[in-house]
Amino acid sequence: MIEIKDVHQSYGKGKVLDGVSLRIKENAITAIVGANGAGKSTLLGVITRILPMISGEVFWDGFNLKQVKSREIAKKIAVLKQTQSLNIRINVADLVEFGRFPYCGGRLSDADKAKVEQALDYMDLQLIRDKFIDELSGGQRQRAFIAMILAQDTPYIFLDEPLNNLDIKYSVEMMKIIRKFVTELGKTIVLVLHDINFAAAYADYIVAMKDGKIAGEGPVLDMISPEILNGIFDHNFHIVEHDGKKVCLYYDNESRRKHGGYTHNHDSEHVSRHGDEHAHNRGDGFARRNDDKKGRRHTV
Amino acid sequence: MRLELVVKFFKRQYRRVLIYTLFAALFVTSLMIGAVTDVNFESLFRGDELMWSIMIHSRLPRTLAVVLAASGLSVAGLIMQAISRNKFMSPSTSGTTNAASLGMLIAYIALGTSPAIIQTIFAFVFALISTLLFTSVINKLKIREVVYIPLIGMMYGGLISAISTAIAYRYEAMQILNSFGLGSFARVGNFSVIYIITVPLFLSVLFSTKFSIIGMGEDFSKNLGVNYNKVVFFGLTLIALVSASSFVAVGGLPFIGLIIPNMTTSFYGDNLKRSIVDIMLFGADFVLICDIISRLVIFPFEISVSLTISVVGGIIFMIYLIRGIRHGKTKTR
Repeated sequence: MIEIKDVHQSYGKGKVLDGVSLRIKENAITAIVGANGAGKSTLLGVITRILPMISGEVFWDGFNLKQVKSREIAKKIAVLKQTQSLNIRINVADLVEFGRFPYCGGRLSDADKAKVEQALDYMDLQLIRDKFIDELSGGQRQRAFIAMILAQDTPYIFLDEPLNNLDIKYSVEMMKIIRKFVTELGKTIVLVLHDINFAAAYADYIVAMKDGKIAGEGPVLDMISPEILNGIFDHNFHIVEHDGKKVCLYYDNESRRKHGGYTHNHDSEHVSRHGDEHAHNRGDGFARRNDDKKGRRHTV
Repeated sequence: MRLELVVKFFKRQYRRVLIYTLFAALFVTSLMIGAVTDVNFESLFRGDELMWSIMIHSRLPRTLAVVLAASGLSVAGLIMQAISRNKFMSPSTSGTTNAASLGMLIAYIALGTSPAIIQTIFAFVFALISTLLFTSVINKLKIREVVYIPLIGMMYGGLISAISTAIAYRYEAMQILNSFGLGSFARVGNFSVIYIITVPLFLSVLFSTKFSIIGMGEDFSKNLGVNYNKVVFFGLTLIALVSASSFVAVGGLPFIGLIIPNMTTSFYGDNLKRSIVDIMLFGADFVLICDIISRLVIFPFEISVSLTISVVGGIIFMIYLIRGIRHGKTKTR
């Protein structure tokens, strides 16, 4: 079990994490959601000792992670940050072998090799095992990195925006695979997700962050509600149910209001705020889109 | 059936076979070239003592020096490129070689003519400090255009050279300074320090997986429990050691650390575990060829090997630079 106690972190003057405490649910998918700069990725980095923290503690089964050797942690917790180094020429099988490093230090035993083969089979990579990762499509490359994490054979897996740069088909495929990790392999998964609807559709628990604090946490059906999400994202949400799952509609509220589609009981409050917030929201949205483009260009 | 297997093996491993056979052939050729033309297979088989003496005391050390310096610098470049995730980094494009030269100069001014090992220690300390300084500054600058980094490195190297020149001018050691840089395998005296390179060569093979993981990025390394800073420091130490001992023993061999890893990783890939020995031998092949050319063009005299390497290596470097820009592979990460 992983437990986070009162974690603080800041860059320069701005507080990125401000007293975060959290207990991660076993054998389930937990999605961390929130606006840009809410501290999601930082929280993930701090829990997995990738990033340092100013104060606070992370416990794994009662052990303080600060007192455990990094290589031992690597056998319990695997973490994959947003898709990395694209111009590295390394083939898929070799990449997956890196996942065994914490166990063998680079000289693979037969058992290690078997784990690598299992991971390649599980992620359906046998046909492209000899290809260099810089020759793969975005979806294949992401699968290769996930296979490495799988070969690392840890009960806990942390993924930072695993759907970044993936199109819809690969995103759905990836979330299905992650779901299988829980049901078939009994793993505990924590994801940072940008798209609230992927969280709503595939996660079991949602942890919502705002301004470096946990703004709310709970089972997915409780969390996906306008009352909670509006506050977290500073945006008006409309929730519909489809096949027993909740879906968030958050595109351009105004036009839907005109067509009479917006019929929520919190609407009176919405109307009073709407006038002065509209311009702000629009501007924000544009800025964010530019950010995304820039971010993508940098990752190439 | 057996023939098919041989063909299959050859198809998959022909580069490796080529590099190894070429190495054996060039090694023997290198041993057979020299002013005393009587050193040949016939005289050696006859057991001519004088010929054997020339072979063991002159020819063999020279050829070994070529092999060690070339393999060492190739591996140093390889590790440096993995650490910096930049294909244009090498000891000669990051000021390391220039700092080694400055170290040797300081040793000369402070201690006069000192044993080679003392010179190597000075060169090593200067090279290490300079490389640490350069890499930490480069990391802070976060430059995305990879071509700029070696350019900055060369300017930085130029700066160190300028300091060396100023000091040498002040202490009237200009001639000494100039003689350091001229790469030649015909030197006597400082030769023995070249054997130091065997240590970093051995360690780099041992730590090849760690260097590859470091090359995948800091987060990636930390996830696997690899201590990023420690391995980077270790890598830079190996690089400084190779640069210093090869510089003291044979002088500057430009471009080797740059072009050899680039020529090999383009087909071997960046997993050092698979390629590191081949890269060493390929580097040795390249310098052996250049050395043989240098010894033959004005036989029985020879020209400086760094001249030949500069001509051949400079052309190859230009090709890679232009190709890199054209393929748009000039951005890091």
